[in-house]
Amino acid sequence: MAADQVSMGTRATGAVRTAVGSVVSPTSERQREIRRIVALCLPFSVLLVFSGVFPLTEMFRISFSESRLVTEGFTLEYYRTMVNDPYYRNIAFNTLWFAAATTVASISIAVPVAHALEKYALPAKSVILTILSFPNSLPGIVAAFMIIILFGNTGVFTNLLAFLSGQSRIDVAISTGVLGLFFAYLYSMIPRALLLLRGTYSEINTDAEEAARVLGATPLQTFRYVTLPQIKPGLIGAFILVFRTGLAIFGTVLILKGLLVWTLQIDRELAQGFNIAQASAMATIWFVFVFGFTVFALRYTSAEVSI
Amino acid sequence: MTERFQRGSLSARFGRPVVKLVLVLTLVFLAFPVVMTFVSSFASDWFGVFPSGFVTIQNWEDVIVGTGVGADVAVGSSLAYSTGLALGGVVINLIVGVPIAYAVARYDFWGRDWVNVFAILPLAPGIILGVAFLRTYPDLSTSGIALIIGYSLLKAPYMVMAVQSSFQSMDLQQIEESARSLGASWPRTFLTVIVPNARTGIIAGSIISWTLAAAEFNFSYIVYSRGTPPLAIFLFNNITNASFLNAAAAVSVFFLLIALVTVSLQIVGNRGTIRRV
Repeated sequence: MAADQVSMGTRATGAVRTAVGSVVSPTSERQREIRRIVALCLPFSVLLVFSGVFPLTEMFRISFSESRLVTEGFTLEYYRTMVNDPYYRNIAFNTLWFAAATTVASISIAVPVAHALEKYALPAKSVILTILSFPNSLPGIVAAFMIIILFGNTGVFTNLLAFLSGQSRIDVAISTGVLGLFFAYLYSMIPRALLLLRGTYSEINTDAEEAARVLGATPLQTFRYVTLPQIKPGLIGAFILVFRTGLAIFGTVLILKGLLVWTLQIDRELAQGFNIAQASAMATIWFVFVFGFTVFALRYTSAEVSI
Repeated sequence: MTERFQRGSLSARFGRPVVKLVLVLTLVFLAFPVVMTFVSSFASDWFGVFPSGFVTIQNWEDVIVGTGVGADVAVGSSLAYSTGLALGGVVINLIVGVPIAYAVARYDFWGRDWVNVFAILPLAPGIILGVAFLRTYPDLSTSGIALIIGYSLLKAPYMVMAVQSSFQSMDLQQIEESARSLGASWPRTFLTVIVPNARTGIIAGSIISWTLAAAEFNFSYIVYSRGTPPLAIFLFNNITNASFLNAAAAVSVFFLLIALVTVSLQIVGNRGTIRRV
């Protein structure tokens, strides 16, 4: 029995040693290729470990810590707080419905826009494309500022609305409300959704659409029964990625403060008394949820992620 | 025939105009505030519907020279600091991104799809990574090193995607085998044949990941503690603390930066990548 275990142990070490040995000093062309692949992936793995995996593990560890500033002991206190305290449950609920609603809204807008870009002859198309992709390189705080310009107390739309309704400008300004935040989310999410959907749209088989039209289908029927099934994998992929984007938004909320979402509460835990353990626990929940959600969605839906 | 065409269905008559309307509204929604910001940064006040008191460069002067009030700093030092940090991130991205993009594009191996997913999907967003860094590398946060390695991980996907799109348009196997059969070793083939051929993607990827690193707010906000603020923090301070029109000028400086980057990407000629930014 003991001898068996020993021999199994030596065999396992032996296997590892052979694998490492073949990478270090390969003897066949296949082994050389494996060595190249390992060498090519190595720098990225090092970065991933040092600036991704290791910090996230440390974050995970302190979220169970009994002491506030150093990792010590083991407690589920911070997780219990999040489950039992209605305050946190409420934030989680806010975050999820808001991200879902903005995702649905931005994709419903991005589909017709991508459709128009792909199918219609548009004037100054390169200008249109530049305008539509420009916000992708803006940070969330700038998106928030754009909303203040439109819907703030002196915003352009606020003025228009005040003029039309006869109310004071302060009463019709929505930038710091939930609706203002909704538009701010859309400002960053529409261009992102569009980016993903344009890739999907460019791969559509247009012959089938033409055939449907010739056979007498209306444009709506053609879209519903011919185009939509073709873009479905891309559409699901866009839902997943845009939803992730929506959950990660922080700078925008920090400025507009329309709704208390998970990321904003993480910042508040740090800003009010530097409660890093609670913040880490919240960040861990966020990470596990989004990671699990992405893996699950990519594995069990027909989603196609082509960035 | 004409009669049937006129009768048409609802979607035949209204479909196209409605879709076009959505397009126009989206364009207005996205572009109008940008234009207003830029225009108002030259105004001296904005009390009515539109800004008034043109043309003044006072706001730009406050941003570029600094007002000297409190801890206010000029945009120059923030811009220079962020430029340096983002460049550091780009250097790391080049070292880690080009090889892995080549591995995925050229070779077929077990787990390739998952390697690809990890290389293209950001592992964690700025704020989560920021909390993790705060805990793990508390001493580095004041020196900027934490910002550099954080930026490089956050923006690596953009480098990988840009380089990959270059690799995909090349017949990698043929190029590699030609070089090898002419006597070049594999490392030499990679460095002197493959990489130079993918320069368009590499340059485009560098520009994109540089811009996004310079614009990264969420991560910088959590990790930054003191010293010169990175550009995104500078923008944040202006938006929250400065007068409205000063903030407009600060945001306009940022717009100019992005415009410059867009133009340079067009010169590089990687139009496909611009839309991916």
